[in-house]
This record gives sequence, C-alpha cells and structure tokens, in this order.
Amino acid sequence: MTHWVVLYRKEMKEMVRNYKMLWIPIVFILLGVMQPVSAYYMPEILDTFGGLPEGTIIEMPTPTGEEVLMDVISNYGLLGVFILVLSAMGVVSAERQSGVAGMVMMKPVPYSSYILAKWAGLLTITLISLFIGYVISWYYTSLLIEPVTFERIFQSVVIYSIWLAFVVTLTLLFSTIMKGNGSVAFITIFVVFAISTVTSILGEYMKWSPAMMTEYTGQVLLSGELDSNFLLAFITTMAIIIVVLFSSIQIFKQKELLE
Amino acid sequence: MELIKANGLVKRFGNTNAVKGINFHIEEGRCVALLGPNGAGKTTTLKMLSGLLEPTSGSIDFKGETAKDLRRFIGYLPQYPTFFNWMSGKEFLVFAGQLAKLNRKEAEKRSEELLERVGLTNAKKRRIGAYSGGMKQRIGLAQALIHRPKLLILDEPVSALDPIGRREVLDMMREIKKETTILFSTHVLHDAEEISDDILIMHAGEITISGSLESVMEEYRQPILQIEFESQANDWVKSIASYSFVSEVNMQGNKASIVLKDMVKGKQILLQDIVDRKLPVRKFEISQTTLEDLFMKVVKA
Repeated sequence: MTHWVVLYRKEMKEMVRNYKMLWIPIVFILLGVMQPVSAYYMPEILDTFGGLPEGTIIEMPTPTGEEVLMDVISNYGLLGVFILVLSAMGVVSAERQSGVAGMVMMKPVPYSSYILAKWAGLLTITLISLFIGYVISWYYTSLLIEPVTFERIFQSVVIYSIWLAFVVTLTLLFSTIMKGNGSVAFITIFVVFAISTVTSILGEYMKWSPAMMTEYTGQVLLSGELDSNFLLAFITTMAIIIVVLFSSIQIFKQKELLE
Repeated sequence: MELIKANGLVKRFGNTNAVKGINFHIEEGRCVALLGPNGAGKTTTLKMLSGLLEPTSGSIDFKGETAKDLRRFIGYLPQYPTFFNWMSGKEFLVFAGQLAKLNRKEAEKRSEELLERVGLTNAKKRRIGAYSGGMKQRIGLAQALIHRPKLLILDEPVSALDPIGRREVLDMMREIKKETTILFSTHVLHDAEEISDDILIMHAGEITISGSLESVMEEYRQPILQIEFESQANDWVKSIASYSFVSEVNMQGNKASIVLKDMVKGKQILLQDIVDRKLPVRKFEISQTTLEDLFMKVVKA
C-alpha cells in the first residue's frame, strides 16, 4: 500500500513537471468548446463563406443542447482517444527502455504496486481532462444554445469515463508488452477502433461490448433513459479491465528489467 | 558467517546457457570481486542475486534460509544506472528510500547523510539529468545504500569512469567495506587486487576459481623469469623449452617470460647458458605470476 502511494505520487509529480497535467486538459477543453461555438455561429459562417444565391432561404435547424454535447462526446471518442493513447503509450515501455523501471524494481516493490500506480495515474489524468473539458463545454452549450440538465450531464460523463478508462487500461497493457512507443500507440488505437467498428456493425450481438458505452452515453444524453443492457456492458467492461490489469502485472513480472 | 549462498544457479536465455549451474557463497563482512571477461555471465549472476532476474533453476540462500524476496537485504548498482532525469538528486534518494520501506522522515535524513558521504550535497537540488557520469555513479551508489543493505552488489562500478572518478568510487568502496558486505564485478584486475578480500573468477557461465585473494594467489602463483634482450634471441628462447624445469615460454618482441618449475636450478642453468653463448641481455628479472597471468590462463584454457 505504501509503495503504491509513493509510486502514485511520483506519477502525479512527473505529469506536473512535464506539463501533461496542463496540455491534456487544454486539448479536452478546446475540443469541448469548439462544438457549441461552431454550432452557434454556423449560420454566420455559412453566410460569410457560403456564396449562396440571393434570396435562398435556408432552414437551419438549430441543434438542441443535447445534440451539441453528443458531438462533443464523439470528438472525444476520436481525437480525445488519440491524444490519451499518445500521451500514455510510454507509460511502462519508456521506463523499461531507459532502464529506470529496473531501478525502481530492485527495491522491494511488489510488481502489482508498480502497475496499479501507473494505472491510477492514467485514470487521474483521463478523468480530470474529461470532466473539466466536458463541464466547460456544458457551460458554453448552456450559454449559446440551450441549458441541459445537470443530471444528464453527470450521468453521461460517468458512463463515458468508463469507456476512456477501458482505453487507457488497454494502453497500459500494450505498453507493458511492447517496447517501442510507436507500436504501442498503433496497436492500441487499432484495437480500440476495431472494437468500436465491430460493435457498431454487429450491434445486436454486441450489447455487452465496452464500446457500447459510447452508445449508452448518447442515450442518456438524448432521452435521459438507459437501455437495460447497460448493466451487462458495465459488468463485462469492468471484468475486462480487471483481467487486463491482472495480465499486465503478470507480464511485467516476466519481463527482464535492466538489460 | 555465511551471508548468501548460491546453489546450482542456472540461467538460460532461449537456447544459450548464460550461467551454467554455479555454486558459491559469500561470507559476511567480506569484499568479493567477481572477475571474468565480457560475456562470462557476471551481470546475469548479479541480477539473479539481487532478485531482479528469476533463475531458470537453482536457489539462493540468505543467512541459511531459502529467501523469497531478497531485494530488502540488497542494494544494487547496475552497470548503467538510470534515473528519473526530472528529479533532483535528493528527490530521487528520498523516493528510493521510501520504496525501500523507510518512512518519509527517515528517508530524508538518510538521503542527507548519503549525499554528504558521496559528496553531492552541493548538487542535491539540481536535476539528475544535468549530472555528469561520475556524479550519476555516485548518486547510484547512494541509492543502493539508502536502506542499509546487508549486501551491496555493484556491477562494474568503475569501468565507465575516468581515472579521477574511478579513484573516488574505489575510495568510497573502501569506506563502505567497513560496514557492509560487498560483491562487485569488474574486468579491471588491478581494482580487484586493490580492494577485494575474496575473488571469484567466472568464465563461460561457470565459476572456475574461487577463494580468498591471498590463497588463490598463493595456490596459483608460479615463479617467472623475465629476460629482455638487446636484439632478437629467438633461437635460444625456443631451445630452452626442452629443459625439464621450464613449463612455459612466451616471447614478445625482445622480451621473454619463462615460467619455471624449479627457480633455483632454472635460473642458474639459464644464466650460465646466457653467459656461455654471449647473449646480449638488457634485463634479467625474477618475479611471480600476477592475477592477470592467472586470469589470462583461465580464460584461454
């Protein structure tokens, strides 16, 4: 336990020193603010650049606040995931490569503490970025488009955070298995998008898939109600996260540190 | 008292046996040098002893008991220590101390002590990234000592250093030797002769010679005759190999080194020979084989 705390504190300190604590939330804030702002100014933007013939009347259905936030979530699902994976790809592999992982493990540190501290560090930065970005996006949406109830915001962000937690857990696994940062990022992103694609194609049979979290996030936002299959997906996602963490620890144990 | 004992340690990487079932023990309070050429399996052995590498088979006893996690008792300095470059020297030591189960206060106190001891007090607030090679080696030594280990393991502690850095680290080791048992690997034989009590010589994954420095030197020491000529004397040097008291002859340029079985008889006959043939001798010296001669013999065999 104490080992875990020391290592977790080191992770946080490192993220502050290398400014990850700053720039990842900023990316999430930008992604979150862009959507309501561009939706609000869309008519003017079209007017300026459109060059539509005089007299054309365009009916621009103003999106609802929920729809704008849905777009924010899908931005997070693409660019957000990309940024998170890229920032987390070296979490174990870089320390193994430099040999400093060996310097840590030659002290009497349980292998689980090392991996779990890494995981907790990743979750912290992910959740902080998501929450701050999303709340600011909510503020701008309420200001420019229309207010959205706090309840829906809260539920949707909690459900969506499960998906992002799943993504960073996978990144941690691949970072433990492989050494090259580039291949870690590539494989993780490939797997994440493969899961998403398969889930959306075979929707009927994939109700349990972690990628359904994105779907459920949208449902809660738009209708305020949750599909009964959510529980199933929630349980499988949690189970996969636990299994992946456990395997990461076992794999890390087998790796030769300090070459 | 026996501190640590290796029983039939084997480490296999794929098809190659890096370490082929070695047995040895280290007495408490001794300074032991592990010698061997590159690729002999020294680092692999040290890593297994430090608990960083699981042996393929065999076991390690610590104070007579089969130990599960040795890391608590051992301080290890790898050949190429690395650090979190964004940390300051002091931060890293406190971090290492806490990982070794010291509480924060103890870790702080011990870090200050060790910084003083390795002469880095003035640099303690600087980022480790900005340290020189010698400074890194010293902070590496400090982190290995942070939890007062029973056994300090150093992998090639001086090989990468310049003469000044080497001197500093050797002096520090001599100090540390008074408090804790040390096992260090090196291929610089001079260093081993200088500070070790016991030596282990490893070659191709096996320990070929072990014992205290004096007893090994004693046992393997042979009288040797070194003769330097003013000009080539190859013919004569070749001819003496047939004498029964000569066991080995090496010729390098104008210098011959001759290992003798019987020094008293040998030197008289050879001197007589030289006088009879009027060979142009510049130097005629009687000496003993050194650790280096022994090492070369083991490795070439």
